[in-house]
Amino acid sequence: MIKLENVTKSYSAEVTALQDASFDVAKAEFVFLVGPSGSGKSTLLRLMNRQEKPEKGEVWVAGRNINEMPDAKVPHLRRNIGNIFQDYKLLSNKTVFENVAFALEVIGRPKHVIRQQVPAVLDLVGLAGKQERFPHQLSGGEQQRVSIARAFVNRPLILLADEPTGNLDPATGEGIMRLLDRINKTGTTVVMATHDQRIVNMMRKRVIQLDRGIIVRDQTRGVYE
Amino acid sequence: MLSRISYTFREMWASLRRNLTLTVAAIVTASVSLLLFGLTLLIQRGFDNQLSQWSGGVELIVYMKNDASELQIREVREALESTPNVVDASKLQYLDLDASFAEAQRLFAGDPGTLQLLTPENMPTQFKVVPTDEASTELLDQLSVGFRGLPGVHSVVFPGKEIDVLTTLRGFIGVRLLLITAFLLVSAILLIWNTIRTAMFARRREIEVMKLVGATNWFIRLPFMLEGLLQGLIGGVLASGAMLWFNQNWTSGVKTFPSESGFGAFVVTDGFPLWIVFWIVLLGMLVGAIGSGTAASRFLDV
Repeated sequence: MIKLENVTKSYSAEVTALQDASFDVAKAEFVFLVGPSGSGKSTLLRLMNRQEKPEKGEVWVAGRNINEMPDAKVPHLRRNIGNIFQDYKLLSNKTVFENVAFALEVIGRPKHVIRQQVPAVLDLVGLAGKQERFPHQLSGGEQQRVSIARAFVNRPLILLADEPTGNLDPATGEGIMRLLDRINKTGTTVVMATHDQRIVNMMRKRVIQLDRGIIVRDQTRGVYE
Repeated sequence: MLSRISYTFREMWASLRRNLTLTVAAIVTASVSLLLFGLTLLIQRGFDNQLSQWSGGVELIVYMKNDASELQIREVREALESTPNVVDASKLQYLDLDASFAEAQRLFAGDPGTLQLLTPENMPTQFKVVPTDEASTELLDQLSVGFRGLPGVHSVVFPGKEIDVLTTLRGFIGVRLLLITAFLLVSAILLIWNTIRTAMFARRREIEVMKLVGATNWFIRLPFMLEGLLQGLIGGVLASGAMLWFNQNWTSGVKTFPSESGFGAFVVTDGFPLWIVFWIVLLGMLVGAIGSGTAASRFLDV
């Protein structure tokens, strides 16, 4: 599903964010990217949805070399990738329903599809009955669930999560992880950057560890260390 | 498709309302500059009408009596053509009854009193005389005096320097007004550009989300571009209204001038103002498209 081949990315002459990184992620796999801040986790995620381009190496997503993809095709690539963030990136002037519907609306999905899919996905993430609330009326965990609903409503092949539990207390974080696990079990590939040691150890999934832009460990059913 | 269109227009309206002060400033600037552009065209046209009698280098007109015979007309023509050092025979023009009547309609458009009195039965016909390069004012003056007494001649008009004054004035006003117009149009473009930039900045989080969920750049840009286009369009419509109102006031004002004022032809009464409306609206939309198009392309990266 995702393949990196000798990828190098630097933001300036001194700062190398990623050096010669190579790995494969299979369909329906769940992968943790771990490592301290600035080790290159976010850069890896940004390379996978073409928010960044590498200097060297190739990034393949769903069988396509996305570095050679023309800019005009990038939106179509992104429709197959859901994104989840530490700060949720919800629109504060829109309700829960509108936030999720927005993702379908702006890619031109018809109204009847939106009316059908949004309640279904809100039900899936456990927010049925809170459709008309605004983000500020929700707890952090609920806001992250809205953000997951928005990322998943279009049934993407891949979910990229950047520290999704970073702002949440442990119990709430666990709830989010159970939800991501359920989504993963439907066949969606999940790549999650985190430095939440407890969660990585609890989930026992594949772990790719980064240190100053270099992959130092790639372990199936790994722990944080 | 329908949902895309409704999205685009909904967002455009929302953005217009949110940014009301900047939007109003942009529209006002656009309309003032477009109005000035329209007035410049109108004034130029007024000068052209005023000078139309004298276009093509004509400096002297010999009016023939309405009942002048064929023979008398031929004799005057021959007399004019026999002064090669003063009259450029190749450019000598004779306007018969129909042509003179048509010209009079234009010349006295702002003077309906005189216009009413003119009929094909009492219209003088005329010779339009283009002097040669070497013909001096004195020679032309002598010529005009000499022709006054010929049989069949009604009168001879030789305005001399007046034409030069009007022509110079036309160029002076035209160039400078167009220059001011150009400056104002540039500021209108910059204001629209800034309005769109502000609108995009206000919605940067939405744009970020849109890009991440795979909205195309055109989908994101379009409401902003339409917003700018609409600002230009509204500016153009306001300017058109003001220009037409201006023209109407001027025309009815000129009608109250005494006939000898010489300003009877300084009006625009044909379909020309509608042409100006067309150009103003087109230019307004162009200004809006340039301002918003460059802003929308430039500030899309979040």
